[in-house]
Amino acid sequence: MAAVGARPVSLGRRAWIVVAERELRDLWLAGRGLPLLLAYAVLLSVTSYLVAANQALNFLEQREAVALTLQVAVAVGALLVLLGAADSVSGERERGTLESLLLSPAPRRALIIGKAVAALSLWAAAWAVSIPYIWYLGRGVGVVGVAVASSLAVGSLLALFLAGYGLLISTIVGSNRLSLSVSLFALLALYAPTQMPTAVQNSGIGELLLRVDPFTAGLRYLGNLIISGHSPSQDARWLIGPVVTAVVTVTVALTVADRLTLTGGDQA
Amino acid sequence: MAVESLDLEVETGTILGFLGPNGAGKTTVIRMLSTILRPDAGWFAVAGVPHDHPAKIRRRVGVLPESAGYPPGQTGEEWLSFHAELFGRPRDDARATARRLLAEVGLAERGGSLISGYSRGMRQRLGIARALINDPQVVFLDEPTLGLDPMGQLQVLDLMTRIAHEHGVTVVLSTHLLAEVEQACDQVLILNHGRIVAQGTVAEVARRAAAPRRGLVKVPPELRSRAVDVLAAAEVEAVAGDGDRWGELVLTMPAGVAADTAASLTLSRLLEAGVPVLGFALEGGRLSDTFLTVTEDS
Repeated sequence: MAAVGARPVSLGRRAWIVVAERELRDLWLAGRGLPLLLAYAVLLSVTSYLVAANQALNFLEQREAVALTLQVAVAVGALLVLLGAADSVSGERERGTLESLLLSPAPRRALIIGKAVAALSLWAAAWAVSIPYIWYLGRGVGVVGVAVASSLAVGSLLALFLAGYGLLISTIVGSNRLSLSVSLFALLALYAPTQMPTAVQNSGIGELLLRVDPFTAGLRYLGNLIISGHSPSQDARWLIGPVVTAVVTVTVALTVADRLTLTGGDQA
Repeated sequence: MAVESLDLEVETGTILGFLGPNGAGKTTVIRMLSTILRPDAGWFAVAGVPHDHPAKIRRRVGVLPESAGYPPGQTGEEWLSFHAELFGRPRDDARATARRLLAEVGLAERGGSLISGYSRGMRQRLGIARALINDPQVVFLDEPTLGLDPMGQLQVLDLMTRIAHEHGVTVVLSTHLLAEVEQACDQVLILNHGRIVAQGTVAEVARRAAAPRRGLVKVPPELRSRAVDVLAAAEVEAVAGDGDRWGELVLTMPAGVAADTAASLTLSRLLEAGVPVLGFALEGGRLSDTFLTVTEDS
C-alpha cells in the first residue's frame, strides 16, 4: 500500500490537553456547567441564610455556622464532580460519539484524563463560589483563612475520589442512566456511617468505618478544624481515608481506561 | 461469534464493495480492522501494520462508522479541528485541514454552523471528512448512504469515488446499494453469517454465482414440444408459456454452469436438432442475483 501518511504526535499538543480543552468548552459554554453552578449557588445561599438566621437566634455558634455551610459546600461541590464524571464516557456512548474518539490514535488514558479535568473543573468553580459565603459567615472569628484552605484540600481529595469513581463506572457500564444511578447510589452509601447509632460510631468498628469512608472522614476533619479550632496537623489522620480512596480510585480508573471499549464491559 | 475464518487481502487503491445481509458481520469486521474491537483469534494487518499495533493502524485508517454521532453543540469546523488535533496536528494546521476537507466534501459554506442544523446527508459528508482527517491509506465507509434520499446517496457515492481516485486510498465500502457497488467498486466481497461467500471483481462474482439460473428462448410454436425434449436431454428444464407467449420457453439452467456456457449449450442443442431460435435471453448475471443466491439462507 502507499507510503505512510501518519504524522508524529509530538507536533501538536498532548492528547489529554486537546480533550480537556474540548470538554471544558462543551461543559461551560454549551453544557451543564453554568446551570449546575447556578443551582449550587442557590443552595449555598439558602443554607447560608438558614444558618445565619439560626446564628442570630443563638441556636448556632458562628464557628458552627461556618462549618455547616462549609460541609454542605464541599459535599455538594464534590457531588457535581460525580455527575460530570459519571456522564463523561457513557454519555458519549449513548450519543454515538465515542467511536470517533476511539478511532483516534490518542491513548485511551489520555481521553479519560481530559474528561477528568473537565469534571474536576466543576469542583474548582464550586469552591470559588463558596468563598464569599464562607467569608460572610466567618468574618470576625478568624476562621475564614483556615476554612477556605481546608475546604480546598478536603474538597479536592473528595473530588478526585468521585472523579475517579464516576469515570470508572462510566467506562465500564454501557448505559448512561445506569452509570449515573450506580454512582449516586454509591454516594448515598457513603453517608451511611453517619447514620449509625452513637454507640456504634464510638466502637472500634464504627470509628474505623468513619475514618475509611472518605466523605465522613473529610467532613469530620473540617468540623474539627473549624468548630474545635484544632490545627490542620492535629487531626491529619482523618485525611488518611480520603487520600487513600482518592489515590486508589484514580489509579483504578486510569488502569481500566486502557481497556475502554465501544460498548462498555470487558469485550475488547 | 460474529465473524469466522475470514481470509481477505485487498490491493492498494482498490474500491472494495463489502456486502452482506443485516447481521452478516460487516460492521464487526470493520470495527476489528479499525482496532475498535479485538478479535478472539487470528491475525491481520492494515496498511502493512500488524494488528498488535492498534494505535499505528488508527493513524493509517479513516472510518465513517455506521451510526456515527455528532456533537450538536459544535460547528463542523470545530469538530474536525478537534479530531485533527487528536491525530497530532498543531492547532493552526488542524484548522486549515478542517477547512480544506469541509470544502472537499461540499460543506465549506456550512463549516461555521452548528452540527445540530445539518441534514443527515451533510452529517454523512462531515463524517467522511473526519475519516480523511489523517490522510489515511485505507478508508472504511460503513453504510455511508443509510437513510439518505436518492440525491444524497448519489452525492455520497460520487464523493467516495472522487476520494478514492484523488487521494489514491483503498476504500472499503459497506452498503446495501448493489447497483452502486457494480458501478463504483473494483472488487466485491459478500459476507454471510460471518463468512466470505463470494469474492472477486464485480464481473467475476456476478458471473460465477448469479447466472445461469433462468432464461427465455423463443422458437416456432409448432416446434415447441420438440424443443422441450431436446433441452431436457441437455438437463435444461423448459416450460412452455401460453397465450401471447405461445412460442416461448422459460428455461431453468443446470446449477454450477457459467452463463456463457449455458447460453451456448442451449443454442447449439436447439440448432443441432433443427429448431430455429427466434429469440434468446438469459436472466441473471447481475450482482444482485449473486447476492440473493449466496445469502438466501439469511
